[in-house]
Amino acid sequence: MQSARPAPARRADRTAVQPVGSGRTGGPSRRRRPGRDRLAPFVLVAPAILIIVGFRLWPLVLGVNFSFTGDGERDGQSVGLSNYLELWQDPVFRTALRNVGLLVLLLPVAVAIPGLLATFIYLRVPGHRFFRSVYFFPAVLSPVIIGAIFSLLLAADGPLNAILDAVGLGSVDWLGDPKVAMFAVVGVHVWATFGMSLIIFLSGFATLDTTLLDAARADGASTAQVIWHVIIPGLSRTIQFVFVTTMIGMLTSMFGLLFVMTSGGPGGSTYLPEYYIWIQQGQMNRPALASAASTVLFLVMLVVGLAQIGLLRRGLKEQ
Amino acid sequence: MRGARISRWVIALPMTVLALATIYPLVFTVNVAMKTQRDYILDRFSLANALRWDNIASAWTTGGMARYFVNSIIVVLCAVGLLLLFGSMAGFALSHVRFRGSRVLFLVFLAGLFVPFQVIMVPLARTMADSGLIDTYPGLVLAYVAQFLPFTIYLMASYYSGIPTEIVDAARIDGNSLYGVYRRIMLPLGTPALLSIGILDALFCWNDVLIALLMMPSPEHRTLMIGVTSLRGQYSDDIPTFAAGVLIAAVPVLAVYLIFQRQIATAITAGSTKG
Repeated sequence: MQSARPAPARRADRTAVQPVGSGRTGGPSRRRRPGRDRLAPFVLVAPAILIIVGFRLWPLVLGVNFSFTGDGERDGQSVGLSNYLELWQDPVFRTALRNVGLLVLLLPVAVAIPGLLATFIYLRVPGHRFFRSVYFFPAVLSPVIIGAIFSLLLAADGPLNAILDAVGLGSVDWLGDPKVAMFAVVGVHVWATFGMSLIIFLSGFATLDTTLLDAARADGASTAQVIWHVIIPGLSRTIQFVFVTTMIGMLTSMFGLLFVMTSGGPGGSTYLPEYYIWIQQGQMNRPALASAASTVLFLVMLVVGLAQIGLLRRGLKEQ
Repeated sequence: MRGARISRWVIALPMTVLALATIYPLVFTVNVAMKTQRDYILDRFSLANALRWDNIASAWTTGGMARYFVNSIIVVLCAVGLLLLFGSMAGFALSHVRFRGSRVLFLVFLAGLFVPFQVIMVPLARTMADSGLIDTYPGLVLAYVAQFLPFTIYLMASYYSGIPTEIVDAARIDGNSLYGVYRRIMLPLGTPALLSIGILDALFCWNDVLIALLMMPSPEHRTLMIGVTSLRGQYSDDIPTFAAGVLIAAVPVLAVYLIFQRQIATAITAGSTKG
């Protein structure tokens, strides 16, 4: 998966990963040491710094800058906001943004499925070990492989439709009907990635206070009550984390599926911003316009991410 | 209590169905890859009547998967090697050495985590083209290292910060330089983390589409995943050979998953649970 970014996460407020702090006395740096050791830490971080600044952070600045310049004959000239205006007027980009809206709406489902399954596994349904490893396995496959397999399964004359016809439900043109295709692709994405969230949920469960669970059980709480009153509040940080990573995954790792399954079609109905960026950059030779779309995607991700964290914080406090 | 036990079995039933739905698409692909084209058109679902390897052989040779496979292996090995080297060096320095600017550096690495590739791909492609790195192995390796290094550093630093400073101090009193501490203490002690993070990085690089598509335009430089997408056009009416190609690309990943399941899960959850 270039669904790649599973676990970035809870950042600098974690003492565990911070650089050695100020509280210690007599740490290594306070001791006299030979000259070459004074340089050593910088030598150790130098390759990482050069690569990350040069190939991740600096391009971000370049890209934003680039989005205010023209394409083709007007390469390098400043054109103000005209790329952004063009994006706004492009029906394909609007569809891409509308599809982002759809993803946001489907997000709770995409989080609830692994959450519920993880709960059952945690509560030790029969065969829980087996379920755990089977559910995770599609998460290690490339979107290209998954997309290739599902483009066979979901083809208009494919096996799934053959089954639906046989039981009399009637076939659906999964990838050829503009109203259905986006849902089909999102469905495949959820199928492919829910194992990742499941594993993260399970590791959250490991930190859950079991005495609370036992107490609730002893008081005669039903499974549904245990989930609602004990497990969900106890897992608030994990739930928040899964919400954010699932959203990032939906916005940045569906390219492979779109590329293999629909190529943005039918009729541009399955475009997402990342696919639009690729088409403008790679096929249409409009890098400046693509940069503007990149900047919009980055802003969308920032807004969605911050809004989610805010909403979830408030919601969980109220419980 | 008995009620709870029965309801667990009731829940296990749909979970079993879901488990089958998780495995079936792959089983279907394996089965199709073993069929002749005629068999596939006549009946998609029936089991292949023999273990036939000719589809795999023709995807491997005439489909060009052999070449793509070698490309992927070269690029993934180089990228993972560099990721682990640079990641462990920086992870050690950030978790055990106090030096000027280390806090700022830590924030720079974290910022790197939150920049998606889609956002920087246009200027990156231009920089790579300007420096002659586009369509070369070093270029793709560098792109992968840049993409996954923040994540690798983050996990290495969090692993190393669990190693007590006393060990480092003792080694330094024994006369080791910082490089010596890195090489003699940190690398050996970090082996479990290097293994699981390395596997995860390898999976990311192996499975990538977008970066390879952007960095390697010419057909002979295709990685395996891009190869799969090109097979689709090449064998659009020979589904069994296409399925065989998909299988070739999936098998290494499946093997790694079956062997290293535990390490993969550990690496993924390491970033999400501590603290």
